[in-house]
Amino acid sequence: MSTLFLVDFNVIKPDIGLIFWTVLIFLVLYAILGKLAWKPIQRALRRRDEEIQRSIDEAQRARAEMLAQADENQRLLIEAREERTRIITDAEKQRKEMIAEAKNEAREAAQKVASDARRDIDNMRKAAMVDLKKEVGSMAIEIAERILQKDLKSDANQEAFVRELVRDLN
Amino acid sequence: MTSSVRLSLLLLFSTAFTFVSAQAVDDHGAAADHHSPEIECGGHDDYDPAGVILHHIADANEFHIIGDISIPLPVILYAPGEGLTVDLSSSFHHGQTAVDGYVMNHGRINRLADAPAALMEGHQEVECIAHTTAEVDGKTRDMYYALIGGERYLLDAPSVGDGGLLGGGITSFYDFSITKNVFTMILASLALIWLWGAVARGYKKNEGKAPSGIQSLMEPFFVFLRDEITIPMIGTKHYERFQPFIMTIFFFVLFCNLLGLVPIFPGSANVTGNIAVTMALAVISAVVAYVHGNAHFWGHTLWMPGVPTAVKPLMTVVEVLGLVIKPFSLMVRLFANITAGHIIILSLISLIFIFGNNGENVYGAGAGAVVSVAFTLFMNCIELLVAFVQAFIFAILSATYIGAAVEDAHHHDELGHHGEEKIAEGGAMGGAVTGMHTPAN
Repeated sequence: MSTLFLVDFNVIKPDIGLIFWTVLIFLVLYAILGKLAWKPIQRALRRRDEEIQRSIDEAQRARAEMLAQADENQRLLIEAREERTRIITDAEKQRKEMIAEAKNEAREAAQKVASDARRDIDNMRKAAMVDLKKEVGSMAIEIAERILQKDLKSDANQEAFVRELVRDLN
Repeated sequence: MTSSVRLSLLLLFSTAFTFVSAQAVDDHGAAADHHSPEIECGGHDDYDPAGVILHHIADANEFHIIGDISIPLPVILYAPGEGLTVDLSSSFHHGQTAVDGYVMNHGRINRLADAPAALMEGHQEVECIAHTTAEVDGKTRDMYYALIGGERYLLDAPSVGDGGLLGGGITSFYDFSITKNVFTMILASLALIWLWGAVARGYKKNEGKAPSGIQSLMEPFFVFLRDEITIPMIGTKHYERFQPFIMTIFFFVLFCNLLGLVPIFPGSANVTGNIAVTMALAVISAVVAYVHGNAHFWGHTLWMPGVPTAVKPLMTVVEVLGLVIKPFSLMVRLFANITAGHIIILSLISLIFIFGNNGENVYGAGAGAVVSVAFTLFMNCIELLVAFVQAFIFAILSATYIGAAVEDAHHHDELGHHGEEKIAEGGAMGGAVTGMHTPAN
């Protein structure tokens, strides 16, 4: 049995035919699989890797953009809020100003109206005074004329006459 | 409850397996009785486990199924001066018919060595194949004879490339047949082409989409080999060129290993446990590495820079020896692992016949079966692991050799670095997995 062992241990003897076929089959398999599977798979995997990388980059970029956008929005919001406050304050101020102005104007107008009225009254009074004076003057002249024209003989007549004149004056 | 179901399934499976395996061995024993190995065509009763095991792990020119049933395989024989003989192995009738001087001896084609010319043509009836031993150059050798017409003729085995060191050498003919191993390699190749063809079609179909089906099943293998073998061993710059080669060698070895674990047709061929196969693969790996070797690699191999001139020739001798030892270690590692596994499993199954005293003791056979089932099941699990591990190691070491050959020149601390490299190579020479080292430094 032991003698059989070493001698019959065929698998340790490299059969030339088997070497030939192994080399042939392996090389043909390598060529076929290389063309059919390995190259396309490698290409597909590489393309997918690139695509995944691109997607990740894209997502990161989009996120950064979004963050920037959000910041911008926040900024705009704050600005808008400030603007609103400012506008409201301005409006308030303007309103007050306008009211004050209106009041002033009204007051001025009223004053003006009052002063005008006063002046008119003054003027009218003055005119009236002038007229009065003129009238009184003319009356006085008329009276004087009548006095001069009539005989002022007696005191009684004279007195009656003056009274009459005065009554007429009134 | 589930555990008991699992246990019974396990037992069922292991029993079925052992039954099939045992049947195969049994049938072989019966077949062996037909062509007695005695010098006279006598009976041969003893169960000879070594003979059975060695017959089962050896290559064969026919695919033996059960009993006298075999699947015939093409036989292509070439004898210098005689020309080609092409036939089917069924023409040889398991050794009972000689065709053009060729006889089937225990599944392998042999050739009549010193027969008269009349016997070297046409079909001749062979009475039996006889076996004896003889002393040749102080070594005991098996001699096989074919008895034709009452005369015995010495049989020549096919030529083997061992240079006569292992009892072989160049004989009167060469066997280029599609043997059991060749058939299995073709089968493994077709399976790989089908499988990876389907995967590649998946990439075409699912372009720009997530992988599906068989594509997503196999993609992790591709990516794993890329990320664990080719990129770390060959480096990011060169790995893409060698990824197809590493993939092919890994899956070819793996499929041959796995087919070898299937106990019946279309498996059972001990492909990667045959040194011719591992030799061819190892040499291809080495050629791929050395052909792509750059000036840096050859400079370091032939005239090591950075060491004293007096040491340089010594380094050259060591390095050139390393060029041979690297593929040699690849060849022996795969061959020894697979063959050892097959021998252990067949030995365990032989226990049934040894315990059963070759069919005379049924209780002994039963006891042997119990032991054999348990251990065979265990060994099969180990072998399944080994099938993957050895394919992985073959691929990773091939990648290491390629990586060392294409590694780019670097200019840091020459002496110290090469010290490390030598240690790593020493490990690889020892035939251990520790021979791996990353050339990407």
